[in-house]
Amino acid sequence: MTDNSEQEYTASTDDPTADEMSIETDVSTSVSSSDSTQHANTVVSAENVSVWYNDEQALQDITLDIPENQVTAMIGPSGCGKSTFLRCINRMNDLIDAAHVEGDLHLRGKNVYDDDVDPVALRRRVGMVFQSPNPFPKSIYDNVAYGLEIQDKEGDYDEIVEQSLKRAALWDEVKDQLDQSGLELSGGQQQRLCIARAIAPDPEVILMDEPASALDPVATSQIEDLISELAEEYTVVIVTHNMQQAARISNKTAVFLTGGELVEFDDTEKIFENPESQRVEDYITGKFG
Amino acid sequence: MATREDVIEDFGHVSRTAGTVFRYLLLAATLFGIVALAVLLLYVANDAIQPLTADPGWHLTFFLTLVVPTLAVSSYLFRTDPVSFRFGASIVGLLAVSTMFAGGMAMIFVDIVPPVVWFGYVLALCLSLAGVVVIERFDRQLPFLARFVAAGAIVVGAFAVVPGLVQSLPVYPTDDILLTLSFGAPIAAVVGRYAAADAGRRGRLLAIGAGVVAIGLGGVVGPLLGVTPVPATVILSLAVVPTAGYAAGIVRRHPARRSGLVLTAVVLLGAFGGAAAVDALGFAGPQSWVDWQFLTSAHSGDAINAGLYPAIGGSILLMVTVAALSFPLGVGAAVYLEEYAPDNRFTRFIDVNISNLAGVPSVVYGLLGLAVFVTYLGQPTGTVLIGGATLALLILPIVIISAREALRSVPDSMRQASYGMGATRWQTIRNVVLPRAFPGILTGTILALGRAIGETAPLIMIGAPNVLFSLPTGLSSKVSAMPLQVYAWASLFASDPFYQAAVPAGVVVLLVVLLSMNSVAIVLRNKYQSDSQ
Repeated sequence: MTDNSEQEYTASTDDPTADEMSIETDVSTSVSSSDSTQHANTVVSAENVSVWYNDEQALQDITLDIPENQVTAMIGPSGCGKSTFLRCINRMNDLIDAAHVEGDLHLRGKNVYDDDVDPVALRRRVGMVFQSPNPFPKSIYDNVAYGLEIQDKEGDYDEIVEQSLKRAALWDEVKDQLDQSGLELSGGQQQRLCIARAIAPDPEVILMDEPASALDPVATSQIEDLISELAEEYTVVIVTHNMQQAARISNKTAVFLTGGELVEFDDTEKIFENPESQRVEDYITGKFG
Repeated sequence: MATREDVIEDFGHVSRTAGTVFRYLLLAATLFGIVALAVLLLYVANDAIQPLTADPGWHLTFFLTLVVPTLAVSSYLFRTDPVSFRFGASIVGLLAVSTMFAGGMAMIFVDIVPPVVWFGYVLALCLSLAGVVVIERFDRQLPFLARFVAAGAIVVGAFAVVPGLVQSLPVYPTDDILLTLSFGAPIAAVVGRYAAADAGRRGRLLAIGAGVVAIGLGGVVGPLLGVTPVPATVILSLAVVPTAGYAAGIVRRHPARRSGLVLTAVVLLGAFGGAAAVDALGFAGPQSWVDWQFLTSAHSGDAINAGLYPAIGGSILLMVTVAALSFPLGVGAAVYLEEYAPDNRFTRFIDVNISNLAGVPSVVYGLLGLAVFVTYLGQPTGTVLIGGATLALLILPIVIISAREALRSVPDSMRQASYGMGATRWQTIRNVVLPRAFPGILTGTILALGRAIGETAPLIMIGAPNVLFSLPTGLSSKVSAMPLQVYAWASLFASDPFYQAAVPAGVVVLLVVLLSMNSVAIVLRNKYQSDSQ
């Protein structure tokens, strides 16, 4: 993860509406990577993770392994705990007084819930993109450089900001207005700015909490293209309530169902074509949820 | 029974009489206070300014040079280009308000803080800032505490040594040059950066240079126009250059608004042209009590010679003290309560009591000031420090409440984003929350200061003198204030001339100051609201 500043990506602005509904074609492109063994390159590994909000259990004994450099999607109906699980990975749940976590969650072998783990230090290794775009009321440049500045990182900030914006497919649109406020961008641009901000400090994992749910279809499609590209270099965990989106962009899919249960976790293709569980099949075919 | 074939001929009517009566009663309730106050203010303003005593020719001249052209240009602009109209009008307002504040500032430099002392402190500030930057840049490997101590030593050392050193120099430049360097240059730097933000480094430097030169010329040009060098420099730095820079900046960004400047020019030319014309034609102006003499002389037993100067200066010093005390305390408390405080009984107890404190009568705060500062701490009565501290206590709850509201209006998603990037709570507050909440905090503080500037009872309680013949010169000298002086004229010197002229004139000055402070707060708030949308 150290040589990524050498590579460049350009925005893939192909016709975003093409193939939007053809799930099979998109999934087939990622089958090769999902054949790799599940335990070889596990980045995040959860063992019996349970979460309570006060007395209400939001997650029940979640156990799953998230592989490196792939997109892992979490789908499920509202209130099924998929966002809660995402927020366990970088301990954002710590910010909620009522939340209480049990179980082990390892990030590259280290249990993030060990007593000696500083959640702030942990979050510096994990990037996060939120549901609605939330750039800071600062310039575009300062938004992207924020993580570098708070972490006191060494290096050429101009270079890193440029690379991050290029990787987030935003550079061409904003390169002449880096000192303009990030809030002046459109919603889709703001979300790509947030992605650039998240990847600038070069995190181990990028967590995305329904990153496209507040965006229009064109912007959504741009974000989806971007996620697929990011997965070449980063481990991406994405929560979505849009099943087509999960099918289009993810290699692995975890299906959470009501009550905070992980019902099935497998290759995306298998989940969508031949799920083991009847409940998952019902959910995916729209019979419930 | 109605069938589908029935045709409705009339739906009938429902009476709205009660509702209409209710609506106009509410309107009356809304207007009652405003109308009553407006009538009183017209009455007071008439007594203070006495416009009817002027020559009819004076009125006619200003009507022709100022009122007619202004109305003509405004109505044309307002119909064709409302945005430019607002821009032009805002420049006029900005110039008026900033000139007034510049007058107050000039008063401080003329009678309270000699420019050389100010220069010494500014130099100390610059040197200590430079020292801190150097430490931060070259000694990052040192632990935080060591850097903190070193920086503290540099700051304290600079402030202890530099001002005295500067003052002990055998020869130093004239006051206006010192002020240009230490007061005008920083303002010109900010204004120039704004005005030429898109012009690149060279353009910005040019703009800043132009500002500094303009301010520097004040010391030369001012005396030719009958203004001594120090006030001329201050007015240029605080009123003319910022207004011009703002106008230039807006015109560069929105060239279409250029036509609004016509309105500004018409108003300025009309005002100065009219003044020159009545002077040349020999028309006498109104025998206003709010005149230069009233603003620049001290109290006198004789109403015609009485003035408000020490009280204005006292109010300014009190406001500076109050702001310096209540802003850090109030914002600190608000940040703690909003960002750090756990939700427990203690916090809730504090919460409730801050709201209660905001409603405690000001005379009680005066008593508190007397008890704490004078009786227990043994301070002399009626000084700037005591008065400022008492008034600061008085507005502290208001500052805390408004600052908390500003902090609460920062969207939680911003905090989440910052924490998600691995920021500590302190980094989140410093980099995200405070910058975003700052305009709101500033607005609330200015409005609270507006309350403090009108308070009389606490000053009476702590023994501020009713009559003062010179400006206070430091924190430990006795202070009077505008409302206190007006109160003294209305009670101790209750004779007809004082009642009918000096008191209204004092009230007008006090209200003008208050309203311009509030207008600054309102402009800030509107700008903040439009920026955050």
